[in-house]
Amino acid sequence: MFETTVEVIIICIKVGVAGMVLFSLPIPLTWVERKVAGHIQVRLGPFRVGPHGILQPVADMVKMLLKEDVIPTKADKWLFMLAPIMTMVPAFAVFVAIPVGDKFTLPFIGKDITLYMSDMNVAVVYILAVSGLSIYGIIFGGWASNSKYAVMGGLRSAAQMISYEVAMSFAAVGVVMLSNSLSLVEIVKSQSGGLFHWNFLYLPVGPVWFMIFFIAGLAEVNRIPFDLPEDEGSLAAGYHVEYSGMRFAFFMLAEYIAMVTISVLAVIFFLGGWDDPTGVIPLPPILWFVGKVAAFIYLFMWIRFTLPRYRYDQLMTIGWKILIPVSLVCVLVTGLMRI
Amino acid sequence: MRDSRIETVKVKSLESGVRWILKRTFFVDFIKGLMVTLGYNLSKGVTLRYPDEEKWIPYRRFRGVHTLNRDLDGRELCVACELCVKACPTRCITVVPMEDSTGKGISDRVAGVWKVDLVRCLFCGYCEDACPTTAVRLGRGYERACFDLSSAVLDKEKLLLPEEVPPDLDGGVIVAASFERTGAGMKVNADFTKLKGDWLKMQG
Repeated sequence: MFETTVEVIIICIKVGVAGMVLFSLPIPLTWVERKVAGHIQVRLGPFRVGPHGILQPVADMVKMLLKEDVIPTKADKWLFMLAPIMTMVPAFAVFVAIPVGDKFTLPFIGKDITLYMSDMNVAVVYILAVSGLSIYGIIFGGWASNSKYAVMGGLRSAAQMISYEVAMSFAAVGVVMLSNSLSLVEIVKSQSGGLFHWNFLYLPVGPVWFMIFFIAGLAEVNRIPFDLPEDEGSLAAGYHVEYSGMRFAFFMLAEYIAMVTISVLAVIFFLGGWDDPTGVIPLPPILWFVGKVAAFIYLFMWIRFTLPRYRYDQLMTIGWKILIPVSLVCVLVTGLMRI
Repeated sequence: MRDSRIETVKVKSLESGVRWILKRTFFVDFIKGLMVTLGYNLSKGVTLRYPDEEKWIPYRRFRGVHTLNRDLDGRELCVACELCVKACPTRCITVVPMEDSTGKGISDRVAGVWKVDLVRCLFCGYCEDACPTTAVRLGRGYERACFDLSSAVLDKEKLLLPEEVPPDLDGGVIVAASFERTGAGMKVNADFTKLKGDWLKMQG
């Protein structure tokens, strides 16, 4: 009984910490994104609020909170209010299954604390299923707004996410074949032992799986060059065009967390999670993990300010005619290599 | 999907076709583009942080706010000949001559009133061309934003004050500055001893 209580308390603490980190993560990320944008465009980025504009996200948040929360008259009010929550909850729920490290022993007590909430034996399936749910929020948001731009954004998003979900699931299948497990902790453990054990360098299929996963991931989180659902040029802001204030902030929050999720998954699937690539640098594993994720997030931002947006038919072509056939071939090759 | 640009490629020869496929397989163009933006990301920005940290000091040839000058003995060079008034295309200069034998000016005739309306002035520099004694010169001051148009008319006392930019400082440089906002108004305090670089070179 006592053991169970302790476990429950530990899990509650973990959930609390993870929730707080996830809620506050978009605050520095928006700042970093605007700074990266600024420097790539040879500007300074935010500079006025605080030193080097570091307090800009706080100012933005205050602004968001003070904005009027507009609900269009003809909107479906219930769905309209539900949609941001429906996008946000799956983005958070994914992190139940995501490990950020193996385990560490508490000093003095000698108790092992695992750095994940649960080591599900079907974590890959859980993540793909739950992250797929967030599309409901986007479609509902687009539909409930009763605006043609929003509904078009929502429909594009539906088509895009369903198409690329297939390629992404295939990439996950590839990882499962390489690591012989559906558990994320096991997947990371199977890659331990330095750079050349990582799935990314399982030649020749590793890099191909990685690229498929990465491209599909870009499309899944609606980032440029696949941000068709919120195409500023032709749809104003896409599915969240009618949203304002905190509801809009929820959509942005979900989007940033989805970006973090894809980065984390790419690190766990292909870059050895918290594994030290050299085996000699005495850094705590969690720092390796955070560093790799940060590099990925930078890559996302870097790509955003480099590439233009694909046309809708090009998007579909890449998804159905390139990624999925390539993944099918890759499944075959991986299978032959794993015999 | 006939017009899909990704699909239709005119393969002119085997070699170009192979190159086309290799280019796309290894994301060559993407990597090139990413390298360009990375270079910009790591490069220093060209933003001039005016007025908070930096200020541009104009070249000597700059035509800014007028100055009235004195000779080496401190006598006013202006002889109130009113040629600048005649030369001015916008009639923004007002000169009223006055007799003065105290030695305030270089001659017995000095300007009792010499004022210029900077709202009308187009900074053409005809007044300095017309001046026979090099009394009026267009200086290097350019911060003339104001809330009240009456402060845009400068009279002789203000024009005779020495210029803010030290005369031995060649222009075209950026110096450290700070921005001061008080109840009386706003001011950019430039520190002319702290040069931050050449303007032209900073433009790359």
